[in-house]
Amino acid sequence: MSGCSPQEAAVRSGSTAATAGRGKPERSGEQRGRENREAQQQSSLPGQNRGATGWDVNISMSVKAFELVPAVEREQLMGEKVRIGIECIECCGQHLYVGTNDCFIHHFLLEERSTKGRLTYSSQKLLQKFLGLKKPVAELKAASALERLIILCDGTVSLVDMVTLEPVPFGGAKVKNVIAFCVNENPVTADPFCVEMAVVSARRRAVQIFTVHEDRVQMLKEVTTPEQPCALSVDGYFLCLALPTQYMILNYSSGASQDLFPYDSEERKPIVKRIGREEFLLAAPGGLGMFANAEGISQRAPVSWSESVIGAAVCFPYVVALDEGFVTVHSMLDQQLKQTLSFREGHILQNFEGKVVVSSTKAVYVLVPLPLEQQIQDLLAGHRVEEALTLAEGAQRNIPKDKFQILHKRILQQAGFIQFGQLQFSEAKEHFRKGQLDVRELISLYPLLLPASSSFTRCHPPLHEFADLYHLAQGDQEKVQRCKRFLISYLREVRSSESTNGFREDVDTALLKLYAESGHDSLLDLLASNNACLLADSAPWLEKHHRYFALGLLYHYNSQDALALQLWVRVVNGDLQDSTRADLFEYVVDFLSYCSNLDLVWKYAEWALQRDQKIGVQIFTKRPVSKEQTAQLNPDEVVKYLEKHHQALVLYLEHLVLENKVQKEKYHTQLAVLYADRVLGLLTRPAATEEQLCSARRKLQHLLRESDLYRVQLLLGKLQDSELLLTERATLHGKLEEHDKALNILVHQLKNCRAAEDYCTWASQDQDQAYRQRLFHQLLSVYLDPDVPGGTQTVEAVDLLNRYSDIFDSAQVLELVPEAWSLTLLRPFLCGALRASVHARRTAQVALALAQAENMQLQHDRLKYRGGPVFMSEKRGCQLCHNTFREPDFVCLPGGTPVHTHCATQRLRDSPTKRSQLDHGHTCNHT
Amino acid sequence: MKKPDVKVAILGDMNVGKTSLLHRYTERKFKDTISTVGGAFYLKQWGPYNISIWDTAGREQFHGLGSMYCRGAAAIMLIYDVTNWQSYVELENRFLSLTDTANADCIFVIVGNKADLTDSQAHVPEAQSEPGAEPGTESEPEASPTCLPPPASPLLLHRQVNREDAMALYGRVLRYKGLEENACLPADRTCFETSAKTGYNVDGLFETVFDMVLPSILKKKSDGENSTVDLEIPRTDKKSKAGCCS
Ligand SMILES: Nc1nc2c(ncn2[C@@H]2O[C@H](COP(=O)(O)OP(=O)(O)O)[C@@H](O)[C@H]2O)c(=O)[nH]1
Ligand SMILES: [Mg+2]
Repeated sequence: MSGCSPQEAAVRSGSTAATAGRGKPERSGEQRGRENREAQQQSSLPGQNRGATGWDVNISMSVKAFELVPAVEREQLMGEKVRIGIECIECCGQHLYVGTNDCFIHHFLLEERSTKGRLTYSSQKLLQKFLGLKKPVAELKAASALERLIILCDGTVSLVDMVTLEPVPFGGAKVKNVIAFCVNENPVTADPFCVEMAVVSARRRAVQIFTVHEDRVQMLKEVTTPEQPCALSVDGYFLCLALPTQYMILNYSSGASQDLFPYDSEERKPIVKRIGREEFLLAAPGGLGMFANAEGISQRAPVSWSESVIGAAVCFPYVVALDEGFVTVHSMLDQQLKQTLSFREGHILQNFEGKVVVSSTKAVYVLVPLPLEQQIQDLLAGHRVEEALTLAEGAQRNIPKDKFQILHKRILQQAGFIQFGQLQFSEAKEHFRKGQLDVRELISLYPLLLPASSSFTRCHPPLHEFADLYHLAQGDQEKVQRCKRFLISYLREVRSSESTNGFREDVDTALLKLYAESGHDSLLDLLASNNACLLADSAPWLEKHHRYFALGLLYHYNSQDALALQLWVRVVNGDLQDSTRADLFEYVVDFLSYCSNLDLVWKYAEWALQRDQKIGVQIFTKRPVSKEQTAQLNPDEVVKYLEKHHQALVLYLEHLVLENKVQKEKYHTQLAVLYADRVLGLLTRPAATEEQLCSARRKLQHLLRESDLYRVQLLLGKLQDSELLLTERATLHGKLEEHDKALNILVHQLKNCRAAEDYCTWASQDQDQAYRQRLFHQLLSVYLDPDVPGGTQTVEAVDLLNRYSDIFDSAQVLELVPEAWSLTLLRPFLCGALRASVHARRTAQVALALAQAENMQLQHDRLKYRGGPVFMSEKRGCQLCHNTFREPDFVCLPGGTPVHTHCATQRLRDSPTKRSQLDHGHTCNHT
Repeated sequence: MKKPDVKVAILGDMNVGKTSLLHRYTERKFKDTISTVGGAFYLKQWGPYNISIWDTAGREQFHGLGSMYCRGAAAIMLIYDVTNWQSYVELENRFLSLTDTANADCIFVIVGNKADLTDSQAHVPEAQSEPGAEPGTESEPEASPTCLPPPASPLLLHRQVNREDAMALYGRVLRYKGLEENACLPADRTCFETSAKTGYNVDGLFETVFDMVLPSILKKKSDGENSTVDLEIPRTDKKSKAGCCS
């Protein structure tokens, strides 16, 4: 072997770092040395030597994209003859043709076998044929439709039969002095039994286009080129040529050309390969593999080969190249070197209809691509997520759509798990989302989160290498916590995005468990909202984490209020510890007030009332009015029940009477009696403060005044003896319309004129003016009554008159007033009375005048409408029936037209819309 | 593979920071680059369009490929290193002629990179609008031992190329192309100073260029539409003409 020192080889087999090394010549020797060692280690991986062939075929690289499989071995070709070597190869289906330097063509049948998932080839020599010259066979190309093999040997193109290898005489042009030829794989002629061929001749600066038929070769066209081409490729009308100093594209139909880039073909053998429609792969300076399309534009980034590259081919998505020591595999997707296979004395590398064949001068190999899925799995196994995805996505168009989707999803999911394992959560999430991961795959990583009843089993083959979270975290608690936080956020998103279809139970239960375990506040939100948490699985978990309040919510959500209450009551009582809610008691009361199960309400009411009557009674008072009869509490029952709980009873009755305004004598009386008892009680208790008493009396007074339903006599009986509760007694008398008694109490016993006046106002508030007047006169007469101890209360009487001057009947008052009173004393009253009287008179006068004016106006209108007299005679005809009038009665239509009475009636009946008009017309007698 | 709608090429001597600029823009990071082999490209989604950005190799060895990369380009970024006068000179000497294959209406921008080495103001990246910009990447340690000065008190180098030089070069580029100066974008809009290291003005540069090539995309699209005859849709324009005459 030549040219490739072990050092170079080692550098090249590294990954990108080694590639970089080539670009930076200033690297130190030490660095190089290190790379060498690494590379050597890599290249001595076990089990990859194919010693049998005698070739040191070594696979060392990041991806195993291809495998070198021997096809034709040395012995089959040349036996012991050492000087014989392979010159060219053609492979067409199962037929492999090898041209040698001793002018032989060997024909092999190449059979593909798959043993244990590995592809092997066995070749069987069918024929060998000597072409009769002492020149090597330069090129071979099969034209299978014609069953011909096109041969280039000694500068001449000839045809042989594909099967017999016998020469076929052909007419037409002789094709001589040929340097190179190539067949157009995208021919412009539509004839299937004809092959297009572009030929470079040694004698002319031109390319000639021929068509090859079964027995005839014809020249179609000749295009001149600026220089003598040395290699070429063709696609449609486009020739891609390697000239001595540059590459160019030439359209042989239009003659248009496009320079590509300079290249010194003296220095390096040029490479021109058609790789697809109007796209070529070229060897560029600096060992680059450049892509160029027919317009001369590069649409893919170049790949970096070595300077000594001999052959190249595209096997999507890879570019495979051969140099003196290696077969290199670059990805077209990311330009990266993916695999290097050691291959000495390489000579030919060519793609035959998707089959990449490599050969040395002595033996032939097939470069078998590994299944895409396996390549991807290898990449994933090396945690090379991006590359795996690029590879999969790049291969999209080569795979059926549905198959691709399944594959792609799976890779995305695997990628997600790899990133998850590296705690790259946002990337992982994105891949899970794109890969539509069954969220349970992720949940199942966390021990115990999936409900026991879940039917889930992990996908097979597994999407990741982790047994569970603890395996993943390797005992690092911090990691575990971060993973848990991630799962919480992920599940929350999943819940809100509706992608949980079908397994909401699993998701919600897992989320509940995570929340419970971490003391997350959202636990309560989860349970309070619509959820699918499984009771059987969640309850023990919540219990384990002492989340009793939450557990109660869960019971409630599952309609097991009895259990919920039982639990909460134990927490309130301190039997269980859960500090979630400091106001749990209030919560339970509130819960009971809404609880529709009345048995439960009654069951826990006693407990609540014993704990706190004031709060406990809210069970009854806060109860919403529901339409369901079954959920309604009967107030009578409640009242009866509350008898033992005095405070609660008062609150409940207040709720009924004052808030709900229940109009039931029983409640009103009971409340009034309770109030009265309380007041009386306070009166007898010396320790009672003024404030307590006042507040108690205010309540009592208020009720007595405002309610009309309680039994007055009963209360009067209760309060009769109290000398202190005068206001209350007056009110009660007032309710009985015993105003004199009431006023007497107020004026003479209570001696509170203000109260007396207020009483009058209150007692007459829903009555008419006269009633009120009577009441005030009554008060006045009480003041003026000389027959009471203390005699007439002049000052109060005067004040009353002056203040309420407009209520009193002045005339009556003047009669009552004692003679002795001075005028000034009553001045405000008299002024008021006088002014009121004058005002009344004047108002009446104005009203009278207005009424008269209106009357006048109406009279005027009436006269105007009546108009002049209507003359009537027997000759006159009715407008409606056109008969004459026989009777003196008629009706005038608006406008004064007389018609018969019966005609008018008729018309009125026929057209109801006209009714109003007719009404305005007025009946009158003939004058 | 998505087909690019328009092409932008980055030219300049080796080591001026072409790869770093593209990397900073696309990955929002500054890391040690390896010398670009041959060329590389990146596809950027800009609104509804795909823009291919070609990073070229500045090395002499790959020089011949430059005109391939420029073929059909709608914009070309000429990059120099503000601390290196030679890199500026090379733009005119070696790279300008490569642009002959670019579109006739190609837009040119002149970019002085490594501004962080001469200006402390270029140490603060302009408001990184992208939320994806990860914190901490700014301070990514440089493997190269040449970057010793701590960011707190940077040792500033003397700049060798001024903005005026860049604007003058722009004028000469237009003259080389035979373009009327007042028919083109003004020099103050096409000359940039950036730092791939700190991110200074990098987004600004690329986004400005993308906006500048939008008309070119639209033109290409409408040209493309006109050149395709759609047999399904009747030629309405003809019809309407006939209707008008009859
Ligand atoms: N200080 C500084 N160094 C830079 C900047 N841009 C690139 N470099 C460095 O310059 C060197 C060459 O960068 P590179 O991107 O490979 O240049 P290219 O050959 O033009 O692609 C690298 O060592 C970078 O770290 C910059 O803005 N500031
Ligand atoms: Mg670079």
